[in-house]
Amino acid sequence: MFVLAMRSIRQRPGRFLATLLSAFLGAVIIMMFNSLHDTAGQPGVDAVSRDTLSTSASVVGGYGTLLVFFAVASTLTVNVRQRAAELELLRCSGATPAQIRRMVVGEAVLVALAGAALAIGPAILGGQALLDAFQDSGQVARSVDYSFGVFALDSGVAVTLLAAAGAAFLAVRRATRRHEQRGRARTFLAYAALATGGVAVISTFAFSAKDAALMAPPAYGAILLSVGFALLAPRLLRSMLDRLELTGASGWLAVRNLRERADHLAGILMSLILFTAMATATLYMQTVESDAIEASGLKKSVETKNLETLNFTVVGIIVVFVCIMLVNSLYAATTYRRREFGQQRLAGATPGQVLRTVGTEGLIVTVTGVFFGTVAALAGIVPFTLVRTDSVLPDQGIGIYVAVVAVSVAVTLGTSLVTARRVLRAPAVEAVALAA
Amino acid sequence: MFRTGSRRAQDTGPAAEALRLVKVSKTYGSDGGAVTALDGVTLGLGRGTFTAVMGPSGSGKSTLLQCAAGLDRPDSGIVRVDGTELTGGSEAELTKFRRGRIGFVFQQYNLLETLTVAQNTVLPLRLAGRRVDRKRAREVLAQVGLGDRLGHRPDQLSGGQRQRVAIARALVTEPRVIFADEPTGALDTRSARDVLRLLQEAVRVHGRTVVMVTHDPVAASYADAVLFLADGRLVGRMDTPTADAVAERLAHLGDDVTVGV
Repeated sequence: MFVLAMRSIRQRPGRFLATLLSAFLGAVIIMMFNSLHDTAGQPGVDAVSRDTLSTSASVVGGYGTLLVFFAVASTLTVNVRQRAAELELLRCSGATPAQIRRMVVGEAVLVALAGAALAIGPAILGGQALLDAFQDSGQVARSVDYSFGVFALDSGVAVTLLAAAGAAFLAVRRATRRHEQRGRARTFLAYAALATGGVAVISTFAFSAKDAALMAPPAYGAILLSVGFALLAPRLLRSMLDRLELTGASGWLAVRNLRERADHLAGILMSLILFTAMATATLYMQTVESDAIEASGLKKSVETKNLETLNFTVVGIIVVFVCIMLVNSLYAATTYRRREFGQQRLAGATPGQVLRTVGTEGLIVTVTGVFFGTVAALAGIVPFTLVRTDSVLPDQGIGIYVAVVAVSVAVTLGTSLVTARRVLRAPAVEAVALAA
Repeated sequence: MFRTGSRRAQDTGPAAEALRLVKVSKTYGSDGGAVTALDGVTLGLGRGTFTAVMGPSGSGKSTLLQCAAGLDRPDSGIVRVDGTELTGGSEAELTKFRRGRIGFVFQQYNLLETLTVAQNTVLPLRLAGRRVDRKRAREVLAQVGLGDRLGHRPDQLSGGQRQRVAIARALVTEPRVIFADEPTGALDTRSARDVLRLLQEAVRVHGRTVVMVTHDPVAASYADAVLFLADGRLVGRMDTPTADAVAERLAHLGDDVTVGV
């Protein structure tokens, strides 16, 4: 089976590109930040510098691991779903489910290994740049030399491989199992996340404006709320659709298509909700905090600066990963609908009408995702701003939010429409026949 | 039930000839690997006729149907549907042309999985921006024997039932010509018979014109006439066909001399 895995990668390297890219970027981020542990562990590093380096490495390293797992899982789920026919063929030719699982997991591990190997060079450069940035802002002493050591390498490779193997295992198990039964567990997790998030957000009021840890409860609360919404995403989308009746053939089709495909869109909605919530909440809370410090006339301490750097870095990483996940799953989902588009055209839809349907679907999904992401973000921002500055909303303006929404809209609509246009280039009769 | 009087105002009424092809040629591929699918096909089909097009695999019968229906563009020649020439416009223009005049029935049904039987049936009307007459859609579905399946989805139906939905969808727009591409190719004999009877009924009772591509002599025997196609040319015609006569003729297609129809 391992030989088969090698061969299947060599025959079609293209379809592993998304997985390779997420593994590569994930490994870069993990190695880059974990090399700060190596740097901090060198003899002769002072306590403040060591603290800055280790904190950043731990926080971002943890986030990175989670994101690699999600990103690889999302690309692999799409990959396995697209290969359903191939896997079915293997099953018919006598492959046991365990053999198929070994093949898919084997492929994922190979791709992850390649990604991790490619990541070493960029990670060293990135780590160096990170250290320079810390030194320029005075968070780390000038005397500290950069070191890329065993810890960075080991943790980078290990985390990437484990994340890939775990994600592949889950993806293929989901694909080879006929009936799904995780509905109840999912609902329970969703409500647990919402409840914990709610408690965390409310507990913000127990802190005073000057508390150093003030940002933690609303930030984690917002994240937990968004996870809860994300887990309930298909249900939320359906409840939105029940209230929506669009006129025009394209709108009519869009609403009906989405109602049927709500479960398939769970991943896309999840990415949108998490992205909107995390980016909006983190960026606004950080600017509120920075402005409040500036207004008080105090000089920023090293800890506050660290927090600021971390917040911006984390948002940056999330943006990149969510974009990859969104582009990948939307591209795959749209290509997958080649036959359906052909059938619409044969039933009398012009290419323009098909594109309008796809655009309307994209817009509804984006609005749903952004809406629930915004609710989660506001749940964190409002308590934080109230405690920190006594006003309800941040007075930093709507610019950041507009930018976050613009990224969501551009990525979702852009990918779906560009892909759909390409798919529509084939004649309708061919599109219907090929996928049959 | 299929009143021709209910058409839109600008319509001038059906032409006497439902379909005319003049020297239609189509070649696939280029230079070395070029395959001539249609080689100067000329034919005319009167209104209210049921014609089967037969020929061995690769004889060009599917290409003929696609060129005649505006799904594919011939390299040369003229296609006229209901007296109007199908010119090579954009896909959107061709689609708009097809909407009012042409209905389709395919071997693989091509129903949308996300829509119910009733929604699939009225989809062409919605896409064309025409008024959706639910009562009429119900009537047509009742006529094809699916009056009790309106809310079902295609994957809850048998192959024969799906094909009957496809026929209802083709009938509901009151097209001048219905093109059927191997409509019974994926069906058992009983379902196939139901489908063929419905197509026959569309012609005899409601005055539609049906062009059906098939490789099955039994299916062809339901038509008023059979056209034989070999190597992209029309090589024969048989009126009031029987299954045996069609099978016999097919077996000796190579012996025929090219004839104009």
